[in-house]
Amino acid sequence: MKALTGGRGVFVFIAAIAVLAAFPLLGLEGYRLRLLTLLFLWISLAGCWNFMSGYTGYIDFGPVAYFGAGAYAAAILMIRFDLPFLAGMVFSGVVCAFLSAMIGWATLRIRGAYFAIATFAAAEAMKQICLEGDRVAGFDFFGGSHGLTLPAPPASEFFYYLLLGFVVFVVGITYLLEKNKFGYGLKAIRESEQAAELSGVPTLALKIKAYVLSSSLIGCLGGIEAYWLTYIIPDDVFNVLRTIQMVIMTLLGGMGTVWGPVIGAGFLTLAGEFLGARFVYDYLTILGVVIVVVILFLPRGVMSLAKRKRG
Amino acid sequence: MILFLQSLINGILLGGIYAACAAGFSLAFGVMGIVNLSHGDFVMLGAFVTYWLFVLLGWDPFLTLPLTLTILFFLGLFLQKLTLNRIAGAPPIMSYLLTFGLHLVISSLALRAWTADYRTLNPAYAGLNFSLCGLILPYSRLATFALALVLLCGLYLFLYRTEMGRAIRATSQDREMARLLGIRVFKIFAVAFAVSAAITGVAGSLVAQTFVVYPQMGLPFTVTAFCVVVLGGLGYVPGTLFGGLILGVFESLATTYLTAGLSLVLTFLLLLIMLIFRPGGVFGRGALE
Repeated sequence: MKALTGGRGVFVFIAAIAVLAAFPLLGLEGYRLRLLTLLFLWISLAGCWNFMSGYTGYIDFGPVAYFGAGAYAAAILMIRFDLPFLAGMVFSGVVCAFLSAMIGWATLRIRGAYFAIATFAAAEAMKQICLEGDRVAGFDFFGGSHGLTLPAPPASEFFYYLLLGFVVFVVGITYLLEKNKFGYGLKAIRESEQAAELSGVPTLALKIKAYVLSSSLIGCLGGIEAYWLTYIIPDDVFNVLRTIQMVIMTLLGGMGTVWGPVIGAGFLTLAGEFLGARFVYDYLTILGVVIVVVILFLPRGVMSLAKRKRG
Repeated sequence: MILFLQSLINGILLGGIYAACAAGFSLAFGVMGIVNLSHGDFVMLGAFVTYWLFVLLGWDPFLTLPLTLTILFFLGLFLQKLTLNRIAGAPPIMSYLLTFGLHLVISSLALRAWTADYRTLNPAYAGLNFSLCGLILPYSRLATFALALVLLCGLYLFLYRTEMGRAIRATSQDREMARLLGIRVFKIFAVAFAVSAAITGVAGSLVAQTFVVYPQMGLPFTVTAFCVVVLGGLGYVPGTLFGGLILGVFESLATTYLTAGLSLVLTFLLLLIMLIFRPGGVFGRGALE
């Protein structure tokens, strides 16, 4: 554990990124390239969820609200206003920062199950707005249940490098949280919010900051996925299963740790890909069993195994 | 005016069912602190028990209720012993994930077994109704509403008039103190969860009378239970009746005067507003942490 959080972990990570960055140049393409891209997407998503919920202890059960909002923001800007993807992605981040600041300002005062339910409700409300907004208001904007089709994307390598960059960025932020005052503040909130408040930590401001940062990055990732897959529907981008996957990946690797989401997302994405291809119909059942087993037997994540072994 | 009264009555009839579906959710949360994301699947299982007994054996849907109660009681007991007891006292996130895992297993197994077809019950009296001053009242809706009230009264009497109910309430108020007083807390958890599953299953049997039955119907009912329980006060069981009625009337009026799609958005907004400004429910008697 200490070796992982210390200098050696960083060294291994940088080496791994360098190798991964070289892969497309060495001729990696097709399915494998897409699989690795998917892996980077999930590591980034789980990482974003982790530095909000893992560090503050506030369980956000509606991160898909921003994933979906980001996907729609990027898609609408690109289709309706003919702007380039980069503008769409930045717009996704801005929209989600704005939305999450509003929602966070209201919901981050309530705790425990209440916060989880409130964020879940926010995500479902946004999904319904995208589904029904057009019909109610009588315009053609979100595309209803048919969803939206985006312009043709560039080569797969573009998304590979973009998402690899995101992985580095998200892991970098989390790594800094272990060292800086902001991170200490968040951890203090997790351990005891009252004590933190009494010691002069501006808890609400810190929580909102972490929430907005996490949500706007998730929004950008939503925009990226929309452009990558070129097609979005509300039931998919706001799917509660995505939330659960972010949470279970983080939990599997270890919440509130730098490498937890990387390990958890890496394992579950590959396992999911393998199982999904082999057991198409029973995939969800197996996923359910895996979740139950992880919670019952590995509640602190696989990182805790490493910790236990070292004494 | 007739339209308004009709949607009001529809809302009240709907609200009774919602309350019956949500009471078990509140009980499980109050006693064990578990937000049960597989709650709606008990509704689904109850509905399917009734559906199959009706289709295969020709039982009247109302006569299937005792069997649903028994089956779901033991299923709840089994799931509780096998999984939920092990995470008592763990951080709440464990219970969200564990129960979501259970939801995935139950609903996907149901999907494999029974396919995704939409099914409806149509006993001989399905479409019958009577009108009163221009208002239409279907018999089966009235009967399910009455039975939902009976179910809730039964739960209330169980919790407030029996020794076991007293022990359950004591455990939900202060687990450690209850243990010190000689209450076997894990036994209480098991009974509370089994009762929660049983009444939810019966509510599912009632749901089957008026709603479409299919394996994926669970999650929407979990969400409905969230809303009802937050309105009535999380963990405060008698509040669920009022929570259910408020939500039923609210949804019914929103569907009549706005659109069905928007009514769901408004439901979630109502839920958000309640959580932010009045997390203890309309009576302020819900658990606050």
